[in-house]
Amino acid sequence: MSRRYLGEFEEIVLLTVAVLDGKGYGIAIKDDIEQRLERKVSVGAMRTALKRLEGKGYLKSELGEPTAKRGGKRKRFFQVTHAGREVLEQVMDARKRLWQAIPYTSIDFKFA
Amino acid sequence: MKEDNDIRPPSLPLRFLRWFCDPAVLEDVEGDLLELYHRRSEHDVKQARRKLTTDVLLLFRPGIIRKFQLPDNSFSMFRNYLTVALRSARRYRGHTALNLLSLIIGIASCMVILLWIQDEMSVDQFHEKKDRIYKVWRNMHQSSGEILTTQGIPQPVVVSLGNDFPEVEDATLIGWDMETIFRMDDEVDYEIGKYASPEFFRIFSYSFLAGNPGTALSDLSSIVISDRIAEKYFGRDWRDGKILGKTITVGSNQKDFQVSGVFEHPGSKSSLEFDWIINAQEYIQQNDWVESWYNGGFAICFTLRENATLQPFQDKILQLINENTNYEADERLFVNHFDDNYLHSNFENGRPSGGRIQYVRILFVIAIFILVIACINFMNLATARSSRRTREIGVRKVLGAQKAALRQQFFVESFIMSITAVVAALLVVAAVLPYFNSISEKELSLNLGDPKLWIGLGVVTLISGLLSGFYPAMLLPSFRTITSLKGHSKQTVGGVRMREGLVVFQFILSILLITATLVVNQQMNYILSKNLGLNKDNVIFTRLDGDLRTQMEVYKSTLQTSPAVESVTATSGNPLSYGRSSGSAQWAGKDPDEEVEINVMSVDEDFVNTMGIELLLGRNFDPQLATDTSNYLINQVAADIIAFEDPIDQDLTLWGQTGKIVGVIKDFHMSSMYEPIAPLIIRNDPSSTFVAFIRTKGDIQQALEAIENAHKELSPGYPFSYEFLDQDFAAAYRTEMTLSKIVRIFAFISILICCLGLFGLSSFSAEQRLKEIGIRKVYGASVMRIITLLSWGYTKLILVALVLAIPLSFYLLRQWLNNFEFRIELGASAFITATVITLLIGAVTVGLKFWQAAITNPVQTLRED
Repeated sequence: MSRRYLGEFEEIVLLTVAVLDGKGYGIAIKDDIEQRLERKVSVGAMRTALKRLEGKGYLKSELGEPTAKRGGKRKRFFQVTHAGREVLEQVMDARKRLWQAIPYTSIDFKFA
Repeated sequence: MKEDNDIRPPSLPLRFLRWFCDPAVLEDVEGDLLELYHRRSEHDVKQARRKLTTDVLLLFRPGIIRKFQLPDNSFSMFRNYLTVALRSARRYRGHTALNLLSLIIGIASCMVILLWIQDEMSVDQFHEKKDRIYKVWRNMHQSSGEILTTQGIPQPVVVSLGNDFPEVEDATLIGWDMETIFRMDDEVDYEIGKYASPEFFRIFSYSFLAGNPGTALSDLSSIVISDRIAEKYFGRDWRDGKILGKTITVGSNQKDFQVSGVFEHPGSKSSLEFDWIINAQEYIQQNDWVESWYNGGFAICFTLRENATLQPFQDKILQLINENTNYEADERLFVNHFDDNYLHSNFENGRPSGGRIQYVRILFVIAIFILVIACINFMNLATARSSRRTREIGVRKVLGAQKAALRQQFFVESFIMSITAVVAALLVVAAVLPYFNSISEKELSLNLGDPKLWIGLGVVTLISGLLSGFYPAMLLPSFRTITSLKGHSKQTVGGVRMREGLVVFQFILSILLITATLVVNQQMNYILSKNLGLNKDNVIFTRLDGDLRTQMEVYKSTLQTSPAVESVTATSGNPLSYGRSSGSAQWAGKDPDEEVEINVMSVDEDFVNTMGIELLLGRNFDPQLATDTSNYLINQVAADIIAFEDPIDQDLTLWGQTGKIVGVIKDFHMSSMYEPIAPLIIRNDPSSTFVAFIRTKGDIQQALEAIENAHKELSPGYPFSYEFLDQDFAAAYRTEMTLSKIVRIFAFISILICCLGLFGLSSFSAEQRLKEIGIRKVYGASVMRIITLLSWGYTKLILVALVLAIPLSFYLLRQWLNNFEFRIELGASAFITATVITLLIGAVTVGLKFWQAAITNPVQTLRED
């Protein structure tokens, strides 16, 4: 279980990489999270998350072409691996089971 | 300067990134940052630059930082650095000694000062509940707009704290220091102590050697005494446990009290010092005037409950007095942390305005100055010496040493020096602390078990090692290899400039300290010799004990028979430190809403003559006139407030007694020089006098004998003690005197260190120019000519330092003098003296070495080439 652990931010990054479907590189992922989820993402936090996810084998990456906009540096595109996909499904599954286990009255608080 | 429209990304953060970033992700990360930068810079270039820097700093985190690896040979290289460092240290012994000496003196002084500061900061910190202990202060808003702040609080406030404020845990009255007579069999003496509430020992953590702090004061006839008193009156064996319940006779009315506790005398760790505590209720019973909302008879401290917040409490207590006095006088209460009061004891217009904290700050700055001066010496001497090491560096470079390795080498060297210096400094501190303690009146000690000491030492080592190694480590490895190998690398102009700049900087610091020392001294002398409005010299004062007060006439005439006594007067207190005041004086034409605190002093008719006070208008009290006992004298300040065209014979009412103003006396100082002179009303009321002032002439010893005999005869059974008025006055400025002494010592040390550095530098340049000197001599230059020529370079530096330092010190010292209500004018004399001193010291230091160089026979220096 602990090996499969996924932090909240890691989960978001992993999902975003999946959303971008192979076109996700550093800035694109950052922009996507910032727009979609309306939260600030620092380059440092995202970079650490990407590195950790790649280390756990949930992401794989390949280098693209260098562009002038990036000072002649190449982009690294990320893609979700099979293991990554599995862990995402597991997380979703766990959440779903928890939601189903909540008694009706407890969710009902809005109407009280 | 960078142009605003420069759109290139800043290079420093990127270089930093390239240095620390894991190469596996570097390209991608840098690309991301650049892309972001370009996007952001379309809106705002400056912001984009800033954001890039923050991003880089945020990337500096585990996961991104690459693994740093030490080269395999690091250990043997390190050993080599050690060997080489020791060799070069031994080869230039004089140099090394000089270098170490200034560093040791610098670090030792710095340590002593830090110990002193630590001690100052630790006062009152031993109370377990210190975070919750507060002290109540009273702001008296005068109609002049001035706010007087006092710690004297009406006694009912403490009752109200107990009843109406649930957030208050315990509250205590704390009386003023009182000197009361103690009797136990043959042992009779005055002891200083306080009246306080039973809660006192629950709030403050004074440690008890016998008895229970929680209940010790619950009985009115209980007394808690210090271990010192216990030993004095009950003998050494009081510790056998039978002291509790024993009886001791206290006070002029000779009441018996039972000892209910013995506490350890807190010494200088506590701002409150006392040898005995008696239940305040005992005092209140005899002095019911204190149970009034209109009098401030006690200080009040209290503890807040653990979960209570201060702000709502502050709001509630603010108008407590006004609510109970119908806003007759605008008096507002506020509280502050009890442990803040030692360092921040001065109030100006109702707000804290410093206190001892100023001296703590001054000495802290001096400590930094000294350390910086010492480190600059080290830096200068090391770079100056560098020319001797260039060959070594050249060879190392040829053998493949990288700049980083060479830098490491220099840092290793400077750290060896700084560690040696710190260890030696530790020994020096241990040796000089006893002397410093006797000067500073402290009990400082090196507590080797204190982690703070080791942290401090570590920091000092680090700072001095880094500071002193920095410049040589950056400069030397950057010389070109070829020139290094040739061994006569010219000093770069930049290097020389830098060194000169540092010398100037050192001298600026020293000149600041010299001028400060001179001006502080002048101000202190001014205060101590200032015409205070009365003649404080040749005056002895002594307490009027027992029956003396009722026999004043006999006492006076007995003393007058002695040829050494000129005159005698009795007063209600020491006129040079007087604080009894009243807000209830009334006079014709006084605005009923006007609030004025006026000092009130009771004297007899000999007061004005004995104290040498000048009578400006009217007359003195006349013993022949029976009505004069209800008449008043006032001082100039009071005359201005009462604002009569002619105050003489006007009615004045004080405490329900209406009399006439018979005279106006010249102002004399009644409190510290930090404050203006207060208004004063003098009553002719010999029955409320407690102190006799005796002006002597001729032989003081004879006068003392006469006084002692009179006391023995008229108040037998009371110990005789006396003080000299001028000494007592000087003692009030003891803090200033002690501190100015400390400042003087460290100013001297800083100059000494400066001179050591200058000496090292001049000996170095004399050495470098030996051949030049030789040739000049061959061509017939005189010794004097050579010395002037060589000295000019350094004289120039000192002159530059003077030009820069004098305006700066003028500004800073004027700020300091503004603290004093009565101060000297900042004249040229201090600055001229400082200039002369600096130039003289500089000339002697530099000249000495150059003279030595100039008298060398040119044959010795020139034969080699």
